[in-house]
Amino acid sequence: MLVTAPLAEFCTLTIDEIYGELPSRIYASLLMRGRSTIQQLAGDTGMNARQLRHGLALLLQHNLLHYHLDAGSPHYFYEANVEHAYNLARTGKILQMVEETHGAAAKDVMQTIILTGLTRVGDLVDAYQNRIDRMNRIKEKLKAEEDPFGNGVESHEVNGEPKPKPTPQSSKSDPLISSIADLNKIIYKLVEAELLIGVHKTSFESPEDLLATIESDIQKTYPGGEVKGNKAKAEYKDKVAEALRKNRSESRSLKRKLEQNGLSAKRRKLFDGAASANVMCINYEKCLVELRNRRLMHYAEEAFGQTTSWVYASLLNLLSKDISRCRDDPITDHYEKDEEKPAPVVVTTSQLLDVLKTSLDLSVGLGQVDADKISVTAAEKIAELPPRKKFFIDVQAEADANASSDDDDEGEDVKPATNGVNGVNGTHVTNGVNGTAKRVDRRTQLRQHLLLLSESTQGFLRHCGAEEWTVDFVPLMAALRQAEIDATIENTVGREGVRLVRMLRAKGKLDEKAIMSVALMRKADMSKKLAEMHKYGFVQTQEVPREAKADVKKSFFLWYFDGTMALERILDVSYKTMIHSLQVLDTLREKDQHVLSLIKRSDVKGQEDDKLRKIHKEKLTQFLKLERMLLGQIQRVDDLVAVLRDY
Amino acid sequence: MAAPNSEADQAKLQIFKDELYDTIREHGSETRVFSQADLKGLGVIPNNDVRILVDVIQMLTNEKLLIGVHLPGGELGWKWRSREDAKKYTSLPDEPTRLVYGEIDQAGQDGVWIRHIKLRINIQDATLKACIKFLESKGFISSMTNVEMPNRKMYIRADLKPSERATGGPWFTDGELDEAFIKVIEGIIFEYIKTRSAYFSRGTVLPQRQPKKGVVTGDARGVKRTATDISNDDATPAPAPATKAAPPPPKGKPMYLPMPAGYKKYPTVNDITEFIHNQKVSTAMLGVADIQALVDVLVFDGLIEPIQVHNRKGYRVVRPTKQDTVSYAKRQQDRESHPELGDIVLGPPPLSSAVTEAPCGKCPVFELCQEGGPVAPSTCVYFQEWLGLKEPAVATANETAPL
Repeated sequence: MLVTAPLAEFCTLTIDEIYGELPSRIYASLLMRGRSTIQQLAGDTGMNARQLRHGLALLLQHNLLHYHLDAGSPHYFYEANVEHAYNLARTGKILQMVEETHGAAAKDVMQTIILTGLTRVGDLVDAYQNRIDRMNRIKEKLKAEEDPFGNGVESHEVNGEPKPKPTPQSSKSDPLISSIADLNKIIYKLVEAELLIGVHKTSFESPEDLLATIESDIQKTYPGGEVKGNKAKAEYKDKVAEALRKNRSESRSLKRKLEQNGLSAKRRKLFDGAASANVMCINYEKCLVELRNRRLMHYAEEAFGQTTSWVYASLLNLLSKDISRCRDDPITDHYEKDEEKPAPVVVTTSQLLDVLKTSLDLSVGLGQVDADKISVTAAEKIAELPPRKKFFIDVQAEADANASSDDDDEGEDVKPATNGVNGVNGTHVTNGVNGTAKRVDRRTQLRQHLLLLSESTQGFLRHCGAEEWTVDFVPLMAALRQAEIDATIENTVGREGVRLVRMLRAKGKLDEKAIMSVALMRKADMSKKLAEMHKYGFVQTQEVPREAKADVKKSFFLWYFDGTMALERILDVSYKTMIHSLQVLDTLREKDQHVLSLIKRSDVKGQEDDKLRKIHKEKLTQFLKLERMLLGQIQRVDDLVAVLRDY
Repeated sequence: MAAPNSEADQAKLQIFKDELYDTIREHGSETRVFSQADLKGLGVIPNNDVRILVDVIQMLTNEKLLIGVHLPGGELGWKWRSREDAKKYTSLPDEPTRLVYGEIDQAGQDGVWIRHIKLRINIQDATLKACIKFLESKGFISSMTNVEMPNRKMYIRADLKPSERATGGPWFTDGELDEAFIKVIEGIIFEYIKTRSAYFSRGTVLPQRQPKKGVVTGDARGVKRTATDISNDDATPAPAPATKAAPPPPKGKPMYLPMPAGYKKYPTVNDITEFIHNQKVSTAMLGVADIQALVDVLVFDGLIEPIQVHNRKGYRVVRPTKQDTVSYAKRQQDRESHPELGDIVLGPPPLSSAVTEAPCGKCPVFELCQEGGPVAPSTCVYFQEWLGLKEPAVATANETAPL
């Protein structure tokens, strides 16, 4: 990840927001000065060794640092882990995702792990044991007194400044996790879903250090420590990739251990024994895959409506079981030969039908037309290979390419039986009526939705074999990224602006006259729009001299759209927007300092309703509302950042 | 040529000349170029005597009945000109005027820039002006504008219509882009594609629950929202992403639905052109290429997308479920009675973008904004307005300097 100044500032602010000033100052120094030893940090920050140790321990505990020890060197080098620091901002989203897919209890466990950072399995079990015991005691007490009591159960101990986080749960409701067996089941589930992974000895190495270590190790096996010749170089590259992959798979050792022991009775035993020493942490890579699925579902909903999008969401859930990360690493996922590459994951129609919610009515959400207006061969077309690299397909060229293979398809394809949703007699019978008029096979209905997704220009789905479906994430995400960029541009400069941008993207570099004739816009309007977009950094110009003298008056000025530059620009604005939101929140907090300090008092905490004066209570609700708005906005901006950068 | 029988020769040449001219006219249109071999092949000149031929051609050229042109190989060739046109030349008073007229004549439908005339025939400014004035007064030439180069003073033969390239095609009126006309045709095309490429579900399950009021709100969706509307919308906390438990779309609501895969009847450009012809919306001839240009603009606007089913390249509307279900004609009528609704905006509102929703995305002083700077987030009025802490500033002074 490219760490720009706004991104660094945002990460520092986030750490400040969550863990307080001490770690954030150390973190800022690490970001600014690069990797440092503890002595250098002491010099840069002016802190004493005790403070530094505290801060570094906290940062390490929350997996926000990389460290590296060179062989023979007495000092550890510390480095900021920007990815994890940024992911702190996504905590809410991840918890929500876990709650929806794995239940509230799983969310509770996940929340505990996020709050405590790296957690030994044994410690987690102990903590929950304590909590369960306490809960039981309170219950007994409640039975005796019949008096509702505050929710002290939920407050977790966090190093650094403990931050009050109101949790909706109160002791009145039943505890989410009532026994250690439940907890084990949940941990197993989360580990199996790869949302939790084990920490191993290279977990804290930064990717660069890891690569350097592995490379030097492998270089040593070559004569003279040098890799010579093309063949050897290719082989070397392969070896490095393999070693990296091996290292990556180590984090899954916990999952493997659990899988070997399969049965639940044994699992319980496992945590009692050796595995309880295992340290777990949250696997952001996999969380991002799940979040991406949700984003794609919304994208599909925008394009085709809810029913189809739910089908798509189920499909993505199935598919992503075997997907560990959103983007392949160019070095780690390098395969010398194509046949060594792992085959893309596919889902069959039957698999999907098995997991689809029974309450989902598949008969709605699609138009109904006569069978003879549908070309079955076109709809059922199977594309065995992913689309070519260039995503913006020229439809005309595509037509010519298809012409030869599909020539004699025109007259065929009246197969009403396969036409499922549309099979009913009526030409213009409306939806609801149609659904009840004749029962169509659910499988056929499902296929209708899948085929619609496959036909889409965005490339949601690929019909890659008979009854087999897969998603080509790279082109699909490119399309989504493009859609997001376009939406941002449209919201900034209006529809005419985005028209020009799409035009330049499709046609390349154009001069004003050419743009004018294609865009059907007045010259003055167009120039104004282009200048405005140039100011925002959405379009660029290039000067092409007509003759050797390069006379400006005679030069051509070509406008063009550079997707990468626009993306960088929008990312930059996004980071700054998030920074500004946090800063505004800080200002608000300062303003209401007196109220906020009140609720931190131990005698008020948990009983705000009773102890606070009315005016303070109003201020507090107002502040909480604003805080929600600002943090919500950060989450929304992060949705955009995720699409542009991570997915 | 011997002097004594010059008179007889002259008469003879006169006959040859007329005959050659007539034969040439029979052998091709005004644009055909005849080489010397072609002229010999006509067989008008006895024994194909080159000297006679040359003399005859000279006479025809002098009378402006033939135009000499250079062929690629360096040879000379000739095109014929009608007698009426030639007469115009001969009626002109002097050589410069004839030359100027010749340049304008040669440019044909594209017209010629006055500076080009000057450069080509190397003539004084004053003379040129006089010539032009004379020709205009005679009604031989007229001035014209070219949409590609609107600032150039151009002239064209009065009896010719400027070419499409010069006028810009049917989307231009008097050299100006006719935006109102384009908007109307765009609206019609979009409506046509929308209704033909998506399935209209009336939602007949609960017809009685479909009040008139709903139509009006649906109509308001097409209206451009004001800035205050938007900021009010944003004031509500960002909604959490919908969960799977969300209810299915209410069945009583009319909406457009996507067509199933493999639908063969997505309208093509030819269909659209035919439709526009049959509707007789315009007296201007709108060809397939013109309609294609407009359809392309709709594609670039992100309102429709090309879709290929077999070899048929049709167009379909994007995001069908978000489309306005009120017909274009109805919306137009509403606007006639309520002009305050403003222009019709085609298609659904754009996808929301989180960055532009926050004040920063549209902030005029975004680049300057920094804690400790003259403009800082902690003192930002836009944020305070957005959070509802402050009424939107009425005083313009506040807006320009958010301090």
